[in-house]
Amino acid sequence: MRTIRIIIAALALLVMPAASRAQHFVADSIIPERIVVKSTTFGLSGINALDTYLSGYDYTGGGLYMQHENFRDARTGKYRWKFQTMFNGTVGYTTLGNTGEIVAMGSYSWGGYHTFAVGNSLKLLAGAQLQFEGGTLYVPNNGNNPVAVKLRTALAASGMAIYHFQLFRNELTARLQLDVPLAGVMFAPEFGQSYYEIFGLGHAGGVVAFTHPFNSPSWRQMLTLDIPLRWRHHSSTLRIAYTGDIYQSDINGIRCHIYRHALSLGFVKTIFKIKQENSIKAYSPY
Amino acid sequence: MTLPLILAGCIEEDEFTNTPRGNFEALWSIMDEHYCFFPEAEEEFGLDWNAVYEKYRPIVNETESEAQLFDVLGDMIAELRDGHVNLSSIYGTKFYWDWKLDYPKNFSDSIQRNYLGHDFRITNGIKYTAMPDSIGYVYVESFASGFGADNLSVMLMNLKHTKGIVLDIRDNGGGMLTAAERLASHFTKEKIHCGYIQHKTGKGHYDLSQPERLYLEASKGAIWLRPVVVLTNRGVYSAANYFVMMMRELPHVAIMGDRTGGGSGMPLNSTLPNGWSVRFSACPILDAQGNHTEFGIEPDVKVDITSEDWSNGRDTMIEEAKKLIFEYYDKISGKE
Repeated sequence: MRTIRIIIAALALLVMPAASRAQHFVADSIIPERIVVKSTTFGLSGINALDTYLSGYDYTGGGLYMQHENFRDARTGKYRWKFQTMFNGTVGYTTLGNTGEIVAMGSYSWGGYHTFAVGNSLKLLAGAQLQFEGGTLYVPNNGNNPVAVKLRTALAASGMAIYHFQLFRNELTARLQLDVPLAGVMFAPEFGQSYYEIFGLGHAGGVVAFTHPFNSPSWRQMLTLDIPLRWRHHSSTLRIAYTGDIYQSDINGIRCHIYRHALSLGFVKTIFKIKQENSIKAYSPY
Repeated sequence: MTLPLILAGCIEEDEFTNTPRGNFEALWSIMDEHYCFFPEAEEEFGLDWNAVYEKYRPIVNETESEAQLFDVLGDMIAELRDGHVNLSSIYGTKFYWDWKLDYPKNFSDSIQRNYLGHDFRITNGIKYTAMPDSIGYVYVESFASGFGADNLSVMLMNLKHTKGIVLDIRDNGGGMLTAAERLASHFTKEKIHCGYIQHKTGKGHYDLSQPERLYLEASKGAIWLRPVVVLTNRGVYSAANYFVMMMRELPHVAIMGDRTGGGSGMPLNSTLPNGWSVRFSACPILDAQGNHTEFGIEPDVKVDITSEDWSNGRDTMIEEAKKLIFEYYDKISGKE
């Protein structure tokens, strides 16, 4: 009998930490530490590009578009703080008469937001972004000036409105986002300066310019609609996104605009990060 | 969404319409704002670009077809007398050739055969051989294709038994500045100041940047320091003109022949509303003394092919170049 008691006590000692971990796990899965929403969408983009370094006229056309977003809660702050990283890229072809131009543009941004709830369905977020944007316009017919390189980094004001609503018994989420660069720097050759002079001869003094909304009035506008899909025991969320990237500059007499309006489709993946994560790592053989 | 648009506005260029008049205005304006040699053209031949506008505007209004418009616009840009100013479309490319065609040709590839013989080599488009009297002959027809430093080193090694090189660039219409630099880099053992470059800083005719120094650096491959005679004619243009500009700064190099064609402005391109492509001189390259060479470089020794030599299949320039190299050796050996 004594032996049995000892065995029960030993088993209890072994089981208790596991039970406590299990309790912890259950509690954390109900209230996750943070939620990460990831989405990747692919689509088509209309493009209108002007760069007076290459030509004084608009080249128009279209291209392929891709966008990846990672949107998450902050670790602290009672869900009021959110972070967003976003990458988008376009590769396209535009024309003017018989001449063609290849456009390749990409941007990466990292932003932090504070949430203001307005009722149960609407959230307003306001914050700031650090943006990196780059790409090229390439006109093969232009002998010594075939390329206009675009490189810019900027601090931007950013805001979004997120609205949850019901439609045909489905809860949909619509979001409107606007990012406006306020101050930054960009690569800006002088009016008639050749890239041979800048990169070949190294005469690169003065090719970096300070940007602000008056010499580089640019913005990005985005509208997304997340639609839950259910099929038997499976469920996922479809995202339909419109993204308008308005890149403009008027520096050193070189006027540029690259307008990209993209419609893209993809899926949203929601990841619930729980506090147990660290404990699991502690037991990981790696 | 319209808020940023209202606050900031769109950046657009003042566009001309795709009509004969619009294309004419666009072409005239592109030249007016971007062409870099208005001061030199005004001084050299009295160009008045506003008068050109007044001259061609009524003619453009009378054009009845695109082909006619192409001819008229081609004639208008020819007023700049610049071989780097071209208009390209499906109707072809309009060039100004007078800088070359109004002068003696001073080169014949038929006569050249008598000097290249049957045993010449070709490397990256460069023909070369050792002539019977131990003088190397190198013909560089174009700088359009890049030369490898290894190819040039091997070429110079193959000519190492010769006393000097006749470096013939006649009728070389140019190509890449980097190709010209690479070839010239095999003829100097140290970095030398060889010129200046400028660019337009605004739309005004005199809006040019401060001249930035250009240097010729020595190649890491074979270096040739024996006498070199560079042969030139009016067909030497653009990057080839730049090559002459660099080579004449070297102490063991003489320039012989006719004045070069010039073309010292690095050209850039733009387009008209109808998509026609236009090219224009945009970045002046000055020589080491700060003088522009847009209208050509005078040789150190002026030589033309005589009609007697021409009919006898003899190249006066090559003969005179060989003589100059022999004279150099006579001089250093004290025979003179």
